[in-house]
Amino acid sequence: MGSYFSSMFDRLWGVNKELRILILGLDGAGKTTILYRLQIGEVVTTKPTIGFNVETLTYKNLKLNVWDLGGQTSIRPYWRCYYADTAAVIFVVDSTDKDRMATASKELHLMLQEEELQDAALLVFANKQDQPGALSASEVSRELNLVELKDRSWSIVASSAIKGEGITEGLDWLIEVIKEEQL
Amino acid sequence: MSAQTYKKKHETTISGELPDKMTIYQDCMTTFNESPVNAKRCRILISRLLRLLANGETFPENEATTLFFSISKLFQHKNDSLRQSVYVAIKELSKISEDVLMATSSIMKDVQTGSPLIVPNAIRSLTYVLDESTAFSAERLLRSAIVSRDPAVSSAALITSYNLLPISEATVKRFANETHEAIKDPKEVLGDNPERDYPARSTFITQYHALGLLYELKKNDKLALLKIAQECFPNWVLKSSIAKVELIKVMTDLVFRDPSLFESFQNQLEQWFASRHESVQIECAKMITSFAMAHPSYVSSEFFASTITLLQSMLTVPRPPTLFAALRILNKVSMVSPEKVVICNPELESLINHSNRNISTYAITTLLKTGTDKNISNLISTITKFIHEVSDDFKIIIINAVRTLSLNFPHEWKSILDFLIDILKNSEGGFDYKNSIVEALIEIVSFVPQSKEPALENLCDFIEDCEYNELLVRILHLLGKEGPSTSQPSLYVRHIYNRVVLENSIIRSAAVVALSKFALTKNDSALNESIISLLRRIANDKDDEVRDRATIALKFIESSKENIKAQDLIQSKYSYDLSSLEKKLTTYMSSNEDSFKTPFDASAIPKYTEDEVKAMELKRKQEQLTNADLEGINNEDEEPITKRLDTNTYKGATLDEHEQDLLSTQYIEELLSIEEFKVFGNLINSSKPISLTESEAEFEVRGVKHLFKEHVVLQFNIANTLPDVALDNVSVACISQLEDESQLEELFTIPIERLLPSVESPCYIAYKKPEGIVLDEFVNTLTFTSRELNPDTNEVYEGDEGFQDEYEIDSSVLSAGDYIKSSFVSSFDTAFDELSNSEVAVYNLQEDLSLQDVTNRLITSTSCLPLENSQNVSDSSEHTLKLFGKSALNGSKIALIVRMVKSSKGIALKASGKAEDATLCSSLVNGLL
Repeated sequence: MGSYFSSMFDRLWGVNKELRILILGLDGAGKTTILYRLQIGEVVTTKPTIGFNVETLTYKNLKLNVWDLGGQTSIRPYWRCYYADTAAVIFVVDSTDKDRMATASKELHLMLQEEELQDAALLVFANKQDQPGALSASEVSRELNLVELKDRSWSIVASSAIKGEGITEGLDWLIEVIKEEQL
Repeated sequence: MSAQTYKKKHETTISGELPDKMTIYQDCMTTFNESPVNAKRCRILISRLLRLLANGETFPENEATTLFFSISKLFQHKNDSLRQSVYVAIKELSKISEDVLMATSSIMKDVQTGSPLIVPNAIRSLTYVLDESTAFSAERLLRSAIVSRDPAVSSAALITSYNLLPISEATVKRFANETHEAIKDPKEVLGDNPERDYPARSTFITQYHALGLLYELKKNDKLALLKIAQECFPNWVLKSSIAKVELIKVMTDLVFRDPSLFESFQNQLEQWFASRHESVQIECAKMITSFAMAHPSYVSSEFFASTITLLQSMLTVPRPPTLFAALRILNKVSMVSPEKVVICNPELESLINHSNRNISTYAITTLLKTGTDKNISNLISTITKFIHEVSDDFKIIIINAVRTLSLNFPHEWKSILDFLIDILKNSEGGFDYKNSIVEALIEIVSFVPQSKEPALENLCDFIEDCEYNELLVRILHLLGKEGPSTSQPSLYVRHIYNRVVLENSIIRSAAVVALSKFALTKNDSALNESIISLLRRIANDKDDEVRDRATIALKFIESSKENIKAQDLIQSKYSYDLSSLEKKLTTYMSSNEDSFKTPFDASAIPKYTEDEVKAMELKRKQEQLTNADLEGINNEDEEPITKRLDTNTYKGATLDEHEQDLLSTQYIEELLSIEEFKVFGNLINSSKPISLTESEAEFEVRGVKHLFKEHVVLQFNIANTLPDVALDNVSVACISQLEDESQLEELFTIPIERLLPSVESPCYIAYKKPEGIVLDEFVNTLTFTSRELNPDTNEVYEGDEGFQDEYEIDSSVLSAGDYIKSSFVSSFDTAFDELSNSEVAVYNLQEDLSLQDVTNRLITSTSCLPLENSQNVSDSSEHTLKLFGKSALNGSKIALIVRMVKSSKGIALKASGKAEDATLCSSLVNGLL
């Protein structure tokens, strides 16, 4: 009986549905570190991701199905295989890597053109803020041409996955947006 | 946990029909992409998908890719059973989809943090997703898994590493230490893992896997292998019998590389004779026998005998696999030295009626080889009863065994013939079976002359009622070929003519050709007349081909009285060398300079008389027999681990026989295309290419001797194996050992202008020689100017003068054997007695050689054909070799009997030769070694 009620509540709140969230970005941006920061709250040592990592986590009563796809050039073409039913994309940028900002911007805009991602919210992490010489969130935003984005809820948050700064703030925003728009 | 739930319910019925491919595909798409994932439904779907794939269904690449990606989404669910199904699906899809590498990170994560149940499976599936660039990322994982205390994990890691070897050798090479540890650690301690809910009992299989991997890692390092083997010798090291078998295979490899190691292994092998695992005993026996056959001098006869006794004792066990394995080894031994297997005959005989046909057939074929004059006919009568009960494939095996009998025991032809005739007429069987019988009969007819008439008569009976066109045509050809020379040719004519009356046009045409040959029968004008009248009648046949053949045959017969050439056309006395005929014809067809106005010139193609053809055929059969044995021994294991027995290591550097034939024809053609040699006239004989250097030398040189009527040409084929060095003006300086007395006069040398790396080219030296037989020996030195090459352009550096150099190669000998071609004679003893000039010589050999070595050497050096199966030495202390050949100069016959006795002091040889040509005889007999 108890379980019946709880599932009723779940349905009311839309909790039974798992939300698919993709973490994308160039290689070495810190995607895997962010994923495990979210899941276990610790910094794990990572290797370049060949393929993907997937973890299920509950955040504010929502079940999130978070996919962290590898960012190497050879793996990027495969991103699109995972776009279907995605509620939100977290795009991670290495704020110290000024040389590849243009590449990151190109990949980001290319991805957002995809039909399957039209309704997905976008959260950009300007990551590695703990490192000297990191660009600020607004600088990154300029580099990525974020203002050009139309018809999409987006936000950029300065973060440091190592120190755990900015991650929850960003995610809070994302959850709010998803709850408003999609549930 | 989940392993048990899986069995509980099966919602889908398993029917015999395959599920529809597209339905499954659509179901997979929807079910795998559902959120949340329903583990059970996914698992069932995957197994249905796997069933499709296992039945050979396949998906186009784009569908396979989509399938893979939807399956990869299942990694979000943490159900162990589902995960295991996903691994299997990835493995299967890896064959049709390139994208499986996308699962790499997820699988590696399972290896690190997955539940103990799935870790081994995860490790195994790594093989399918890793490639050269990603293998290194799994290095640390695999390394620690190899030394894991859990045998399942360790095994999985070892096998994955083994399979990764071809993909990323550099990575796996670094696992050598861990692998070594895994051999020594039997990993008995289990149960330290409370989560495990299946019974824990170690099979010690990791030792086998570790040994296999370590062998692959160290296979080029003989000393390391030897050390590993010795470490494994003590009984407590290897607990797994499969690992022991593997160890013996490693040892087999070692002894074939270095035969002297065998002695040090002997004690260990003897211990294993008493092993309680039959597989270990069998492997020991296999190793010893195969090694003994390749290197007889290293295995004492007592040890060999005890090995045979071991195998003999296995012939009485009730387990068919053991029986079969033991029989297979004995059968191989019996091909080379049947006398050693004779002691097993009682056991073998009791196996003839074994209910397992594989075993009974092997027993029979082995018995046929170990058979002696005494029991052959007995044996054949046993087989006659048996053969009707087995399938065609077995029958053919038996027929082939009987066929070799006829070569080995020519005087037993009567019972063999009766047997063949009996089964030909009275047993049921398909074409392949009947064909093998007819082939065996044809062989007996051509090599055992006494059997000719009875065999032909019976074949005549057979064709009266034969349903296979191909066989009829072959038999008719045989009758035409052999019939005219029998005592009663007219007998066959009747049978052949019956075919003309009764059969279809294919057979009628063959019969016409056969009939026409009888018209040439000597001293029987009546028969001649009747053939002509028969052919006239046939000339009105309703089929074109039959009519044409009859008319042509009549024309030939009419003109044959005056014209010898026409006789040749009816019954040809020689045949062409088919491979060079084919080659010539192809060039003729493709060049076509004047739209075929010049007729095809067949004169340059080597021709063989019937005796020569028979000699070649017999030689080929003899070689086939011994080669088949050796190959059988070398390649007896199908699994890749023994493919390691590198072909070059002990089969010797000899080229494949057929390849060698091709090579010599190729050399001859090259030679004859050179302008300078055209004036020498026809080539009389060419020797086989002989290697004059070690096979790993900087320059590999092969020498060929070509004889003309008044000239000798020495050809040296030189291969440059040095990288980045070109050789200019390469020639060979030949200095006669006879110095001033040499009868040969050097005419000219054709050097190689430039020899680039890894190119083989010939240089020639021509000598004038008096007519007749001239013997000589040359000391050869390779002379050349070496120049360095620019590795980028592959051209000589400009201004590089190069420097003169010389290189010693082995000497070449112009011996009596070079003047001889091997030839066949049906009755050696009569032929020997008939020849007029005789010569006797005695030799003493101090070298430690086996009689087989000496025999082989004699056969090569004399270029004669060994007859009466005397090329196989059956007694290790004495042997008689019978050789027959013909002079290449004038076709005179020469026969040679060599008796050899081996004692502790060495080998004594007595050679008595008889020949039509006295000089040839004395040169051959006195220059044997």
